[in-house]
Amino acid sequence: MKHSLKKIIVGLACLGAVVLAPVGATMTGNEVMQQVYTRPNGNNMSANLIMTLTNNRGSTRERSIVQFRQDDGAIEKKLMFFTAPADVRDTSFLNFSYSDGRSDDQWIYLPALKRVKRIASDNTGDSFMGSDFTYDDMGERHPSEDRHTILRQETIDGWDVLVVESIPVDPKETYTRTVSWIVDGEWIGLKKEFYTADGKLGKTLGIDAFEKIDDIWVITDMTMANVQKNTSTRIQMKDVSFNNELADSFFSERQMRIGPRT
Amino acid sequence: MGRYNTRDNSLKTALLVGSLVLLSLVTLGAKDVDLRGMVRSYNAMTLADADLAINEQTIDLKLEGWGDMTRLVVNPYAYVGLDSEPEIGIREAYVDLFFESMDVRIGKQAIVWGQAEGAFITDIVSPRDMRSFILADFTEIRMGIPALKADYYLGDYTFEGIWIPRFVPSSLPASDGLWAQEMTLPNGTPIAPSITEVGTTFEDSEVFGKISRFGSSLSWEVMGGYAWTDEPHVTNIDGPTATATQEYGRFAVVGGSFSMPLGPTVVRGEAALYLDKPFSSVTPAMPSPTVEVEKHHQVQSLLGVDWNLWGVSMSGQYILSYVHDHNATLMELGRPVEEFKHTFTFRMQDTYISDRLTAKIFVYLEPEPLNALVRPSLSWSIEDGVSIEGGVELFVGDEDGTFGTYSDNSLAYVSLRWYF
Repeated sequence: MKHSLKKIIVGLACLGAVVLAPVGATMTGNEVMQQVYTRPNGNNMSANLIMTLTNNRGSTRERSIVQFRQDDGAIEKKLMFFTAPADVRDTSFLNFSYSDGRSDDQWIYLPALKRVKRIASDNTGDSFMGSDFTYDDMGERHPSEDRHTILRQETIDGWDVLVVESIPVDPKETYTRTVSWIVDGEWIGLKKEFYTADGKLGKTLGIDAFEKIDDIWVITDMTMANVQKNTSTRIQMKDVSFNNELADSFFSERQMRIGPRT
Repeated sequence: MGRYNTRDNSLKTALLVGSLVLLSLVTLGAKDVDLRGMVRSYNAMTLADADLAINEQTIDLKLEGWGDMTRLVVNPYAYVGLDSEPEIGIREAYVDLFFESMDVRIGKQAIVWGQAEGAFITDIVSPRDMRSFILADFTEIRMGIPALKADYYLGDYTFEGIWIPRFVPSSLPASDGLWAQEMTLPNGTPIAPSITEVGTTFEDSEVFGKISRFGSSLSWEVMGGYAWTDEPHVTNIDGPTATATQEYGRFAVVGGSFSMPLGPTVVRGEAALYLDKPFSSVTPAMPSPTVEVEKHHQVQSLLGVDWNLWGVSMSGQYILSYVHDHNATLMELGRPVEEFKHTFTFRMQDTYISDRLTAKIFVYLEPEPLNALVRPSLSWSIEDGVSIEGGVELFVGDEDGTFGTYSDNSLAYVSLRWYF
């Protein structure tokens, strides 16, 4: 009887250890990044973005963007309208990201041309409107585009995080290795480092603020710093709202021309 | 730039434009109104004789007002040059009505169709301001026309119909302007044009229609229209008075365009068939050349590719023009018409220093006869909304070519823009 009780206590202790252990501890890198990719982010979202570009001499320029996003599971559609400064005002950018890993479709509306123009998908590694973010950074990168490995576990600001290394399947990509700090169980990134082919740190993405809005984690302040050029771009998100009444036809050529009015 | 010719301007025009803007502001008093614009100073010097050929100040305003389901846009502008009368006008002034699946636009509007870059194939709804050849900015080269435009949306498809009650022709360079194409008699005497205007009845109106699909793998447009030639053709030359009678002609057009991703590139195509388009057939003779108007089918087509290489945006296009049942006497805008005409374009653009510096080059090349327009430029963003641009408009090659004919007009320019 005494022996049986000992067995039960040991059994419960093991069960407790399993239950209380970090969720990611039993997962692979690919599974972690899949969790990040599929983290609930609302059927749709709208927000006002302020993009602050800082050059290597410390001078800044600011761009204002109204962003709408819709995700039906198969396609994530994102429509951005530039509202300032005056010389880029009314420019809009539409991006379709596919969950099956297909290349994104991208279009830009240039008011001076009065024309919606498809953008060559090969430019996803190019700077997005002169910022330190690339077109690729502005979309959601599908986990299948990289091979992921959990390097270690750390604690940042009280959060248990998993440090995940990602190596692009396509070796020709600008950054041949990235390292992400993912909050275990919440599947939100706190930091990301981008390394070039020669192993040097190219740029870092730091998350300065994130909060739960309508029970959804939202990164409201982040900064991409280009270590080699000594430039940075900060994106602040304001007026975030989820599950708005947006028709599927909102993410269209028609709306790109009309502007952010719903 | 360089609209150096006689201008139909007066205090009356200024008052009319001012009144319209004021009226718009008053009308929109209770609405959501926004005023923005651009001021530009453009100075150009001819490379041949270092003459300050163009000094032009421009103000371009855009007044936009929003209602719940309407929008008003008024776009007044003014050009002021050293050697010409000020020009004040309204580029666009229209009202949009937005419905669930339909938009209607009424008023003076510039309409852009097709996929071509720097070429006009199916993009023939709005006439062109050619007073500075093809050097004007994109926003300025297309002229506003009085039109009723309706777009109906059904899924990925858009059905567009346009009715233009009153024909507006392209604006051509004045005979004493920098870009004039002078017609002469065989003995070299200049010929003065005398243009017969198009009437204003219902029968004189133009109509266009288009079906388009906006898609992930393929976007396409199919269009048709019944139009006037935007540029006049000669119907008679009177030798003794050195006068050429010119008129605009009717023709029908069908065409289409597409764009699709292909690997790392975007492939674009566009083609139009102009049915029974009128051309002048001119046989030299003294004292008066013999002129007949002949109608020929004409095909304009384009194939283009856009791609990126090391972050540099590039584009190449091949444009083919073919005139059916061609003969050597055909003339258009005072120049012989080729049966086959081949044109290539190439664009390369890159930005540096966080988009502050933009380097761009656009080239038009005609292989037969060999001539080209080469347009390199550098633009520096001084601060948000303020930029300075310097560049060269280099016309080179055979003087019988579309671009080589302006070989004396090669320019170097500096342009300062301020957006607000």
